[in-house]
Amino acid sequence: MITVTRLNGKKLVVNAELIRTVEENPDTTIKLINGDHIIVKEPMHRVVELTVEYGRSLRRLLPPS
Amino acid sequence: MDLGILFGFIGTWVLVFWALLSGGQIGMYVDVPSVIIVVGASFTVTFFALPASTVKGIIAIIRKAVFWQSAPVEKLIEDMVSYAEIARRDGILSLENSTKDIDDPFIVQGIQMAVDGTDPELIEQIMTTELENQMERHDTGKAIFDTVGKYAPAFGMIGTLVGLVAMLADLSDPSGIGAGMAVALLTTLYGALISNALALPIADRLEKRSAEEVLYKTIIIKGVMSIQSGDNPRVVEQKLRTFLPPALRPQEEKEAA
Repeated sequence: MITVTRLNGKKLVVNAELIRTVEENPDTTIKLINGDHIIVKEPMHRVVELTVEYGRSLRRLLPPS
Repeated sequence: MDLGILFGFIGTWVLVFWALLSGGQIGMYVDVPSVIIVVGASFTVTFFALPASTVKGIIAIIRKAVFWQSAPVEKLIEDMVSYAEIARRDGILSLENSTKDIDDPFIVQGIQMAVDGTDPELIEQIMTTELENQMERHDTGKAIFDTVGKYAPAFGMIGTLVGLVAMLADLSDPSGIGAGMAVALLTTLYGALISNALALPIADRLEKRSAEEVLYKTIIIKGVMSIQSGDNPRVVEQKLRTFLPPALRPQEEKEAA
């Protein structure tokens, strides 16, 4: 799960495993595999970073914080 | 106001009066008690059939039916596409500034919700509910004229029966029978006129108006949903164009097809 911010500033947690695409058009739009889409403030590369981070933590590749 | 309604209304009544005049003098067709029973009873029965609060809005509804001009759908689609372009170019937040220049509160509401990051399903739900409520309001407006149109001929009939009974009760003067019968039949004429040359056309007009507004708002809903999902402006345009009948689509597209 990754924490992102909606355009109105509210935090929201997205299941990173369900992301199909992340697009900048120019708002960062996260499309999920069920077709839902969420527009977030974070730029695209930040969403990718968060997802990678999450994947690492899942596989215990990160030191426990 | 659409000139058709002037032409239709005046034309219809002029033709009716012409028919009346060609049948004899106009005085022959005027009978005050007959007018009172048909017009009065058609009006009062509306209060009987519908809640008073509904009937009270009658003036506003007539104004709506008469002074209504269909909004240009083509222009609406162009506007929606231009908002989609802004959203695509500068981000959906930049649309907030554009909302100040938009007249239609329905579009403003939709775009505002999209900008605020409301869930797409929620936006669609709110806007659809609004549309449904509007349809319901329009239906009650139409119901008034439908009621008048439905009951007026019946009251004409009732008036005729009243007149016939009065006439038949006293047959001692055979020379009066024809005249009495003529007066009795007048109420039927009034009832049919009120119904077919006044109430029902207005009801039909209101229905048409409602249908056009529903189309207009449906396009707005689809447009806002499309903008919210970050569709390409071209895609938005294509999507919204499907609502237009082929005759109204731009030339180039027709040639391509």
